[in-house]
Amino acid sequence: MEYILHIFILICFYTLLSQSLNLSAGFTGLISLAHAGFFGIGAYTTAIISTQFGFSFWLSIPLATLISGAIAFIVSLIALRTVEDYFIICTLGIQVIISSIMNNWMGLTRGPLGIPGIPSISFFSFNLDSKISFLLLSLFFVAIVWFLLLNISKSGFGKTLIAISEDEIYSQSIGKNVDLFKTISFTLSAIFASVPGTLYAHYISYIDPTSFTVNESIFVLSIVIIGGLGNLTGSFFASAFLVLLPEVLRFIGMPDGIAANMRQIIYGLILVGVMMTARNGFSELFPKRI
Amino acid sequence: METTVQILLNIIVSASLFLLIGLSFSIIYYPTKFFYMAQAAVISFGAYFVFLFANIYSISFPISVTFSIIAAILISAATEVLVFRQMRKINVVHWAYLIASIGLYVIFQNCISLFFGDGAKIINTSEVTVGHQVFGARITTIQFITAFVSIALFIAVNFFLHYTATGKSIRAVSSNPELCNIYGISSNKIILIAFCIGSALAASAGILSAMDSDMTPTFGFNLLLYGVVAMIIGGVGSTRGLIAGALFVATAQHLAAYYIDTKWMDAVTYIILILFLIWKPLGFSGKQLKKVEV
Repeated sequence: MEYILHIFILICFYTLLSQSLNLSAGFTGLISLAHAGFFGIGAYTTAIISTQFGFSFWLSIPLATLISGAIAFIVSLIALRTVEDYFIICTLGIQVIISSIMNNWMGLTRGPLGIPGIPSISFFSFNLDSKISFLLLSLFFVAIVWFLLLNISKSGFGKTLIAISEDEIYSQSIGKNVDLFKTISFTLSAIFASVPGTLYAHYISYIDPTSFTVNESIFVLSIVIIGGLGNLTGSFFASAFLVLLPEVLRFIGMPDGIAANMRQIIYGLILVGVMMTARNGFSELFPKRI
Repeated sequence: METTVQILLNIIVSASLFLLIGLSFSIIYYPTKFFYMAQAAVISFGAYFVFLFANIYSISFPISVTFSIIAAILISAATEVLVFRQMRKINVVHWAYLIASIGLYVIFQNCISLFFGDGAKIINTSEVTVGHQVFGARITTIQFITAFVSIALFIAVNFFLHYTATGKSIRAVSSNPELCNIYGISSNKIILIAFCIGSALAASAGILSAMDSDMTPTFGFNLLLYGVVAMIIGGVGSTRGLIAGALFVATAQHLAAYYIDTKWMDAVTYIILILFLIWKPLGFSGKQLKKVEV
């Protein structure tokens, strides 16, 4: 039972990550490979300030989102001057730079040693230690973020983003400040990405740079693409699918040693398949963009 | 004096390896106009196939190298025919090729992990030696071979691109595919040839690198990114710019290693890439980038 709760919590994390990436990649067309970096920034912020300064989790969420947003803003000033393919390579470079800083700035992040002993979250002096309480907390955050993203996507802002992803020059010609919208979208996406980072740090209580590498970015991007770009419900189902996939593999008797590699091979195959068929992933099943 | 010569030698060796990788990447970029990220897996494949043939099956080394390059060519050709050609038929969005190649890289890299394990391996050719002395600095035999082979291959491919019919066809397809099809140059065939040449070069780069330092299933990715940075800095259209780009990246890396710390080598490389993408998106070649297609 504990393990099933753990799986559900993971699904919550990946839903948060993929929906936030969907805001930037799906709605605005800015396909970013730097998402694991912002995930990591959220995690490291809360880890550092709760282990070194003793602040509580509820204080570290706004701080983590601020720092993540600030770094994303600076990054977007640089990266948004490039287009399509070059933008993806640029965000890849940014992801590697963030990984490199996490790994090498020993004074701040303790490098590959990681930060242990992150305390669990307390809610009005009620310690959220058990998995079920953490699952409820995660579901709470998933609900909030999903609600916010839904409203953003239905608002005029969201419609402009979709317009930008479909035809940038036309949007600019009717007077929309394309650069401003892209910057806001990218920054918001990073802000939302740091939220699961803070949760993750308190859940696992130990973080190190290996959780926030390019591979993680590629995985989150695959979830977004497989679930359908611009489709929030699709992101949820795709996260559930890809998190449950290795469990299903284990169920049919695949030995643990190769399960991790097989899971990556399978999601790689699905990714290539989705790209080859030019369909919008799972959103074939949900025709509306929600 | 000795440290300067040592740094210079290191730069030359690294630059020639990046040159080879950048060339293998750009020769696929020319006709297809997308970044074939799975090249990273081809680099790893080159090294791991040699390991398979030479160390496990105990086939002699030169034959192992040949088989390995042939195997890498076959794999790349298969992905071109089975994946990218089908995608060209249905006219997907431009970045779909890049994402598909990333997916392919994930598949290939995990296959290597599955069969060979994630631990570091090395292709043993001879016992560990001290290396030759050049003006007080040291260079090992394999590093010398790396530089020599890379430069030789670069000159050969350049000659091929500029003076042979097939080479000129590749450059023709890269500037205007539709016109080439009208004139009877099958762009599909040219792309296939480009893939074969590119993967042969990449596999060689992987083998040379694995003979010098160790190999893990993911080492191809780092090498490929250095080659990509060299290509973008040098300007994606020009092979001569590639020389400048490779030298620039190698110099920046080794100076950073000497003056700051070796652990920041990666970060410095990508910071340079980002700076170049801002100020000179078309690199040393100086062309202006058309921002978005209308």
